Amino acid sequence: MEHQRQGVERPAAIGSVVDAMPLHTAHTLLALRGYGLAVSSVAVALGTSLLLATYNFRGVEFPLFLMAISLTVWYAGVVPAIVALVLSGLGFNYFFTQPIHTLYITREDFPYYVVFLIFALLITRFSTIRRRIERDLVESRDALQKEVVIRTQQANLLDLTHDTIFVRDLSDRITYWNRGAQELYGWSAEEAVGKRTHELLQTVFPVSVDKIQSELLLSGRWEGELSHTKADGSSVVVASRWSLQRDEQHSPVAILETNNDITQRKRGEEDIRELNRELEKRTVELETINKELEAFAYSTSHDLRAPLRHVAGYAELLQRNAVSVLDDKGKQYVLMILESAKRMGILIDDLLAFSRIGRTETRKSLVSLNQLVQEARIEIGGEMAGRDIVWKIGLLPEFYGDRSMLKLALLNLISNSVKFTRTRTQAVIEIGCTEQGTKSTIVFVKDNGVGFDMKYLNKLFGVFQRLHRTEEFEGTGIGLATVQRIIHRHGGRVWAEGLVDGGATFYISLPKL
Amino acid sequence: MSSALGRILMVEDDPRDTDLTLTALEEYNLGNEVVVTRDGEEALDYLYCRGKFEGRTSENPAVLLLDLKLPKIDGLEVLQQIKSDEGLKMIPVVVLTSSREERDMVASYKLGVNAYVVKPVDFHEFVNAIKELGIFWAIINEPPPGSMRRS
Repeated sequence: MEHQRQGVERPAAIGSVVDAMPLHTAHTLLALRGYGLAVSSVAVALGTSLLLATYNFRGVEFPLFLMAISLTVWYAGVVPAIVALVLSGLGFNYFFTQPIHTLYITREDFPYYVVFLIFALLITRFSTIRRRIERDLVESRDALQKEVVIRTQQANLLDLTHDTIFVRDLSDRITYWNRGAQELYGWSAEEAVGKRTHELLQTVFPVSVDKIQSELLLSGRWEGELSHTKADGSSVVVASRWSLQRDEQHSPVAILETNNDITQRKRGEEDIRELNRELEKRTVELETINKELEAFAYSTSHDLRAPLRHVAGYAELLQRNAVSVLDDKGKQYVLMILESAKRMGILIDDLLAFSRIGRTETRKSLVSLNQLVQEARIEIGGEMAGRDIVWKIGLLPEFYGDRSMLKLALLNLISNSVKFTRTRTQAVIEIGCTEQGTKSTIVFVKDNGVGFDMKYLNKLFGVFQRLHRTEEFEGTGIGLATVQRIIHRHGGRVWAEGLVDGGATFYISLPKL
Repeated sequence: MSSALGRILMVEDDPRDTDLTLTALEEYNLGNEVVVTRDGEEALDYLYCRGKFEGRTSENPAVLLLDLKLPKIDGLEVLQQIKSDEGLKMIPVVVLTSSREERDMVASYKLGVNAYVVKPVDFHEFVNAIKELGIFWAIINEPPPGSMRRS
């Protein structure tokens, strides 16, 4: 009873004082207040009865005492009520029953006390019921308040998310609209709630609405891409998720729709598709060009060589059969024709070999560069006849590449070194390798030959580019271009250092295994 | 030059090439052994004794010198036709061409060519190549039965 009173009955002023006190002090104070109410209410009832008795109003004392007891029971609980009951009994007995002013109880007095008691019990009972109802009411009110707080927090949380969330009932009318929805579409919750979703957003569905509805009813959810129109008239593509909310009877009541703006992503995807299309087109173009190039190389191979052969053939026949009618100049001319035809033949062959490097597939295997150097030296043995050449060949790595191509590259470099050291009494050719980090290996071919001017470095690796006159050093100018093409096809790099009359060094870098 | 009784059948569309080849062969007195046809169709007409070659004796040549780039029916088609024909497949076929293209070489060998010769640009080399071809196929080599014999 005491406990219940704390929450329910105490006046606000006392309550706040009580709140500030230690707990046991508060209890004592409330108990005293209960007893005080018992004593004072009985005293007031007695006083009023005695006052009325002096004015000859009889028979009111009993109801007044009952009122005092009722009041105490109602507001102060059972124990103070017993005090009030005893005090009322004593007061009634002493002042109003015969013999007056004694505490003697006659038999006629019993019904009064019984009524007092029954009345007190009844009031106590009513009071208990009242308090319980009050407590229940308060509890449910508190629970409701808590619920409201939680719901409000949840609703605020939904407002925090960037996702667009709204709820619509089965007639498609919007019942909830979060801030994300406002931000995406441009309508506030006040504007949107109550509107029909698909009218407001002008939804464009990927499939028929009926199909979506049936899937939603069947599985409780649907996912897909929708196109919506914003308040400002611009359109937006969203990844949409629908969830069907059902009530306790399991009948659908609402649809929760969560939308993510994927317009940018879609645009990105479209861009990528566009780029891919462009790339495919370019690939086809390149393939066409490659085929044309191949056809060109083929016809060069076939059609250009035939007339050349005829020029050489008839010039030869002229030299052989008509030598008697030719003067010295004429014989010289025929010789020039033959030399030129021969040179053009070599040029065509070199150019074809060069174009073939770009066209043929590389057949890769593990290749020992030392072995390739050895083979290359043997192959150009003829060029080295009667020469004094000092070879310094270091340990070279193994490399994964096309054997014949790599050999051709080394052959060109070594042959170059041999050729351009021709003017030296003793040629020194050094072949070695230096490590370059962990990614690639550098192989160099160094000679003490005639070298070159670094200002023509950019021409060194060009097709048909020559830095020396043909009468000094023969050649078509395709060798270094071939080296570069081969090394590029292996993912490597070529460069060179040189000094006029101070030798040259050629470097090739090859990616490591 | 185009006697109906040659043991060497040459298929060559370029008259200058024909001229130079015959010049080379004449040095070994093989010039009058050569029958020249100017395209693939004519070559097949000769081999099948039809068209303007209807009246010739039906013996096969001892060797066929075949250019690849020909009008109408090209060299590879002629080669394919010969090698798939029971009566002709034994004729030794030498491809004599300007093309050093690997794919032509591969295609020719796949079809069963007996030799593949790239005509050298240098005339001396060219003459040597033709002479050696002529001597080998027309003189040293024993042709298969049913071929024309040396007269």
